[in-house]
Amino acid sequence: MKAFANIHPLVEMTYFMSVLIVSMFFSHPVLQTEALIGGILFCAALQGKKAARDIGFYLTLFLMVAVTNPLFSHNGVTPLFFLNGNPVTLEAVLYGVLLAVTVIGVLLWCKAYGEIMTSDKFLYLFGKAIPKLSLVLSMALRFIPAYLRQSRRVSRAQKAMGLYSGKSITDRVKNQARVFIAMISWSLENAMETSASMKARGYGKKGRTNFSLFRFYASDGVLLCLCLLLFMIPIMGAACGITRFTFYPRVDKIETTPAAIVVYAAFGMLALLPFILEVKEAIVWNCYRSKI
Amino acid sequence: MKKWISYGIFCLLIPAVVICGTVLFPAKRYAWVSLCVALLSCLPVFLQFERKSVDAKRLILIASMTALSVLGRILFTPIPAFKPVTALVVITSMYFGSEAGFLTGSLSAVISNFWFGQGPWTPFQMFGWGILGFIGGLLAKRLKHSRILLALYGAIAGVLYSAAMDIWTVFWADGAFNLSRYIAILASSLPFTAIYAVSNVIFLLLFCKPIGKILERVQIKYGL
Repeated sequence: MKAFANIHPLVEMTYFMSVLIVSMFFSHPVLQTEALIGGILFCAALQGKKAARDIGFYLTLFLMVAVTNPLFSHNGVTPLFFLNGNPVTLEAVLYGVLLAVTVIGVLLWCKAYGEIMTSDKFLYLFGKAIPKLSLVLSMALRFIPAYLRQSRRVSRAQKAMGLYSGKSITDRVKNQARVFIAMISWSLENAMETSASMKARGYGKKGRTNFSLFRFYASDGVLLCLCLLLFMIPIMGAACGITRFTFYPRVDKIETTPAAIVVYAAFGMLALLPFILEVKEAIVWNCYRSKI
Repeated sequence: MKKWISYGIFCLLIPAVVICGTVLFPAKRYAWVSLCVALLSCLPVFLQFERKSVDAKRLILIASMTALSVLGRILFTPIPAFKPVTALVVITSMYFGSEAGFLTGSLSAVISNFWFGQGPWTPFQMFGWGILGFIGGLLAKRLKHSRILLALYGAIAGVLYSAAMDIWTVFWADGAFNLSRYIAILASSLPFTAIYAVSNVIFLLLFCKPIGKILERVQIKYGL
């Protein structure tokens, strides 16, 4: 299932930026929980069973961040118990939990970003604005698999010449370094040839055209508007002070005024948008299949 | 015009971000503010690079040095924290100048994190490796002549890099700077700091001569 991956890159970029900005800069428990749930569902929809492998890592991280905060921060007015003469406060514990939720939420969204925004989309978006850097980036990305292959070849050749590496660390480092140095002169010679070929084909001349497979459909426009609208609501909320939430010295109450609920609903909708799209796509797909 | 943009970033945009960050977010979310600052600090070099008319040779040279340092990070995966990236970035900047060093460093961070995990720490690594390369380029003449100085630079770079990343960890875990946590993290990451520093020194000393020879040869042969 990758319904979200077929949307126009511009919409995807806008979407990720708006979710990441809200989840990075707003320290509000409701919004952060929404971002975390959205991130979990999105990653689960993207990766399926593979996503379950990382649960252990995220749980450990969650505990580490949540538990260590009250150990290092003694602000707050409600002591739960004393540790080495330092109070462990309820406020610090809750703040630790919120930090853990934020940290893991952002990590999951970054992961989804990596899955969706492949390098070709990135280059399509920024190729016009930063042509040279994006060319360097795409060339480097293309070189790495080629270099990996070549380095395996070099290492095999060196083995055939009788240059074995032992088990000890110094031996392993020396061996890798030898392969690496051989790689450098090969790759630079190769690079110079490529640049000559680029020059021969007229790199840097005016009138160059681009080709890309991405088309901006009406549905992309609708999604872009929806995304911007849903993003603006929490921003307005922040401007009006609705999303202000402090833990020290005492934990604030979560606001339940109509305006606050609109903000929560808007961001909840934004965070769940890709998951909703994936589910909708799956339902449509099953519908079509059942008709066959 | 573009020059003014880079000055503007340093003189206006970065302080503006810091001030907005402290005013808008009462919980003092330094992590995200510092993230924006790290990104903005990379921009002037990037803009400068875009503005100049750079020929294809230099472009592709930076691309292949970047790919090589990423490859180094991948090849040495079995040994944790023992990576030749900093050494390669410094050597690049010694022979091809500060700008090439900064670009190689920061692009290596972006690209290698496609393998090692992209995250909010990417801008810090970008700036960290970038600035280590930049300074290496400024010291190029001296570093080329003295191996002791080179080793010293490698060691200091390793320690600084680790200490700076630890500051980021504190921001990230605390939302604000917490000295006791910083000291705790510094102490617990001491082995890594040591490996960073030692690996930088080893790789710089090991690679400086042979790679330097290769780079000099390429420079002469292709007229860079």
